[in-house]
Amino acid sequence: MKYHTDNSGTEKPYIDFSLIFIILFLVAFGLIMVYSTSSYEASMSGVTNNDPAYYLKKQAVASVAGFIFMIIVSYVPYHFWEKMSGIAYVVSAVLIILVLTPLGYEANGARRWLRLGISIQPAEIAKLAMIIFVAGLICKLKDAINTRKGMIFIMVPPAIICLMVWQITDNMSSAIIIFGIAFVMLFIASRDYKKFAIFAVVASAFAALLVFAITKAADSDKFGFRGARILAWLDPEAYASGKGFQTLQALYAIGSGGFFGKGLGQSIQKQGFLPEAQNDMIFSIICEELGLFGGICIMLLFAFMLWRLMIIANNATDLYGALLVVGVMAHIAIQVVLNIAVVTNTVPNTGISLPFISYGGSSVMFLLIELGLVNSVARKIRF
Amino acid sequence: MKSEKRVKRVRRIRVENGLNKDMQAKLVILFVLVLLAFAGLGVRLIMITRDNGERYKKQVLSQQKYNSVTLPFKRGDILDCKGSKLATSEKVYNMIVDAKVMLAKEESLEATLDALRICFPNLDVSAIRTHVTQNPTSQYYIVKKQLTYDEISAFLEMDNNNEEYPDIAGVWFENEYKRVYPNNSLASDVIGFTVRGEGGQYGLEQYYNDVLEGINGREYGYLNEDETLERTTIPATDGYNIVTTIDANIQQIVEKYLYQFNEENKNAARDGNGANNLGCIIMDVDTGDILAMASYPTFDLNNPRDTSRLIGMKKSELNGTIPYDAVVLTEANIEEELADDEIKNANLANLWKNFCISNTYEPGSTYKPFTVAAGLESGKLTGEEYYTCNGALQVSVHNIKCHNYKKGGCGTLSVKGAVENSCNVSFMLMGRQIGSGTFLEYQSKYNFGLKTNVDLYGEARTDSLIFGGDTMGETELATSTFGQGFNVTMIQMITGYCSLINGGYYYEPHMVSKITASDGSVVKTVTPRVLKQTISEQTSAQIVDYCIGVVEEGTGKEARPAGYRIGGKTGTAEMVPRDRTNYLLSFMGFAPADNPQIAIYVVVDRPNSWVQDNVGFARKLCRNILTEVLPYMNIYMTEELTEKEEAELAELNITVKRANTEEEETQESQESDTPDVDENGNIDAHGGDVTSSIPVTEEEMQSDDVEMAPLTGNVLNMETGEAVKENTDEVPY
Repeated sequence: MKYHTDNSGTEKPYIDFSLIFIILFLVAFGLIMVYSTSSYEASMSGVTNNDPAYYLKKQAVASVAGFIFMIIVSYVPYHFWEKMSGIAYVVSAVLIILVLTPLGYEANGARRWLRLGISIQPAEIAKLAMIIFVAGLICKLKDAINTRKGMIFIMVPPAIICLMVWQITDNMSSAIIIFGIAFVMLFIASRDYKKFAIFAVVASAFAALLVFAITKAADSDKFGFRGARILAWLDPEAYASGKGFQTLQALYAIGSGGFFGKGLGQSIQKQGFLPEAQNDMIFSIICEELGLFGGICIMLLFAFMLWRLMIIANNATDLYGALLVVGVMAHIAIQVVLNIAVVTNTVPNTGISLPFISYGGSSVMFLLIELGLVNSVARKIRF
Repeated sequence: MKSEKRVKRVRRIRVENGLNKDMQAKLVILFVLVLLAFAGLGVRLIMITRDNGERYKKQVLSQQKYNSVTLPFKRGDILDCKGSKLATSEKVYNMIVDAKVMLAKEESLEATLDALRICFPNLDVSAIRTHVTQNPTSQYYIVKKQLTYDEISAFLEMDNNNEEYPDIAGVWFENEYKRVYPNNSLASDVIGFTVRGEGGQYGLEQYYNDVLEGINGREYGYLNEDETLERTTIPATDGYNIVTTIDANIQQIVEKYLYQFNEENKNAARDGNGANNLGCIIMDVDTGDILAMASYPTFDLNNPRDTSRLIGMKKSELNGTIPYDAVVLTEANIEEELADDEIKNANLANLWKNFCISNTYEPGSTYKPFTVAAGLESGKLTGEEYYTCNGALQVSVHNIKCHNYKKGGCGTLSVKGAVENSCNVSFMLMGRQIGSGTFLEYQSKYNFGLKTNVDLYGEARTDSLIFGGDTMGETELATSTFGQGFNVTMIQMITGYCSLINGGYYYEPHMVSKITASDGSVVKTVTPRVLKQTISEQTSAQIVDYCIGVVEEGTGKEARPAGYRIGGKTGTAEMVPRDRTNYLLSFMGFAPADNPQIAIYVVVDRPNSWVQDNVGFARKLCRNILTEVLPYMNIYMTEELTEKEEAELAELNITVKRANTEEEETQESQESDTPDVDENGNIDAHGGDVTSSIPVTEEEMQSDDVEMAPLTGNVLNMETGEAVKENTDEVPY
């Protein structure tokens, strides 16, 4: 950090070039992998006019837009967003409800998208809004957050949004992420450890019990498709042609890659076996093409990014800024961990994209906006 | 965790100070937890690779499809001499349903079927639903074949619109080529068709099948040395295009008049077509290029199995022959008559075959120029002979009549007069002078009995249908002189006739002038090929003169189109059974008279008439065709027009072109094709080429053993005409 130290005391904003580099690297790597994973299917499909670069082009446009937003946001003093906390919350709630109106539309079997000139997922906006909202709320309540009442007071509004995301947009994974972001932010701000540990243990126990119940149930249908997914998780090969298909194909991809992989662009699994390989399962194709080595390198890059976020959070000049960065860090960490856990069949299959790398315009754009917030916070740091 | 509890001092939250030490510690703990999670996942990755790597590797390979996918080639086009398409291949699309994909999402089935219902109004959507629900794992089900791009574009648009129709899935389109004949029945016998876009049947499609066909490409997978799957694509090689010598406009004119002939004469004396067969060939006399070749009835190349085209034809037997008393197929009886598939196929085969090259018949008097040419060339005739015709000639036990028998014969005729009046008696007398040896020698020089090797499928063999030295007796020679007793094909006749007209050069008749690749490059250019010299230029000039005489003075007057001078020969051939009710009428001519460019041969096989032996059927047909073809070919008119003729031309929208009044036209033509303009102002575009490519085979102009003696003898013999009436009935043909 020494080279950033400015002994003369002039107001030179801090820019975390390591972080910027990582962002650029991940987005560029993401574009390469989106092209690698999607070009075969895109070239074979009439849906994409047989244009192999169809997905690449869309993702590139979203990425460029995301960078522009990131730069704009990084120059906006972040306390502006503190004033926007309430509005951000209301807007995200309204957008989720709008999905029910004709503005919303269905894709890939779920009604999660809004057509507002461009198509966006309200859940992605809700993640950003939740970071802004919870940071603002904590700064408002201050020490009151350490009381049980305060904790509940902070967690109820995110819980409401989570319920809406889950029930209205039928998107449990996003609900979990949003809840996780709020939970981590509160955990950092709070003085307490015990309550969080207990909550985590209770939640895990409940999940285990649910899994047990599903496996023992004579009729797994009453648990819906999520019940089937859990059964497929436990024994993917028994459900190879059904719910376990995608997971199993992802495992085949990882396993067949070996240590150094088949080489960039050489995946076999992306050629029709792993459907929509550019989406949530992109990490398995990374492993197939670039091997364990490539997969672990990507994880290290994410770890490095999270480390830079931690440094910025710990050095932020005020609490609100620090909490914003914590929120972003939580968001990225949760998604990376869950995504790789899903791909490796460590947890049941649920649709979570790999930040910056998976195909998805809304996702990459809002992630870059969040990093704009981080840069904005970093600019205020004086070493 | 417990160590944290020991921290006694409670740090208060200060908004303006950033994270306090507790929070920073917590954040570090969080980061460590995340790292632990990463480490755990990393271990999981390693375990998957280590424990299952080999198995999964095999699994991945075993899932691969190694079977190859065929990439279809495009069959070459068939073009006319001006480049317009007579046959082409269009990309069409087969609709394939992938049930697995369609059922992958619950909403897809209904959304996709709805879209199909909207875009394909005639599609049985419920059949797809049944198939998909009953075969949920099927991935390749052909729903509909050969859809055009226009038909599928609406669906593709919906399918591509992921915002409004996100759930459409499981329908894709496979490329294929469909053979299309833009002019439907035009030149149907010449072009031929294909079965399912491949495997040409009849005509050019079959003869040039190997040229038109390309090589299918393939996309296939294989395991390389590293045991990884490689997929390779070998692109398809498209077939070559063939440029024919056919001029679609001339072809169209010819077919128009054949059709008109049929319309005017059908159902006249009996049910059915205007004639059993109509045929017409127009050939460039100086190259052997076939400019038009048409016959009637025709069929729709785009729907060759349409049996309605058989209506009006006589029903053929299983072996393809049509008996004399065959049933005429009518709308009422066709279904019943063709109930048997084999019979139906035999009848269709009869429709598809090219009358101009596949049918053999006795040519009749159109053969006479060949006889005279043989006599003159061999020196057996001088051209100065005179013959007397009293109406019939006793040959062996037969008394063979002339067509003027009832009028008491043709009287005394010169050789030219005999040709002009088509006098059989004179020709039989000439035959005696020529002798069977010389006659047969020339017949084979003219290529009768041999295939012309025209580049079309289905040329008939005639080697067993002509006389040989051992089978030709006195009677056979006599009848052969006027074209009866042996069989020919139309293509043999006109090809041989061209050599009589053009100075004796026998060109191999051909249909294709150029073969080009799909990128437009020329693969092969077919240059006119002189096979031999049949007669000398001098004899040829005499034959030209005789044939002009036929049109100006003799039996061919009616064949002359308005404004032109032409030469030619008529023919009225008796057919089996020789009961004087079955005739084949023909006219074979050339135009323009002074500088022959094209030869035309028109055949009317058994016209639908109470009186069939009327060569006017053929003459008129020929005249109609030439009236339009010659002006189209920019051949200048040389003859005065009567008012009636002017009115006729005006009705056909033909502008009168004359060399002296249309100088611009001449110049235009000169620029295009370095032509020679002869004294009459006619353009001779071919003259230059021909002389350069002639292997001159010296023919003996004079023969020492010219026998003049039989001449008088024959004439005298002819006068024993008392028993004519009784004997004529015994004539065996």
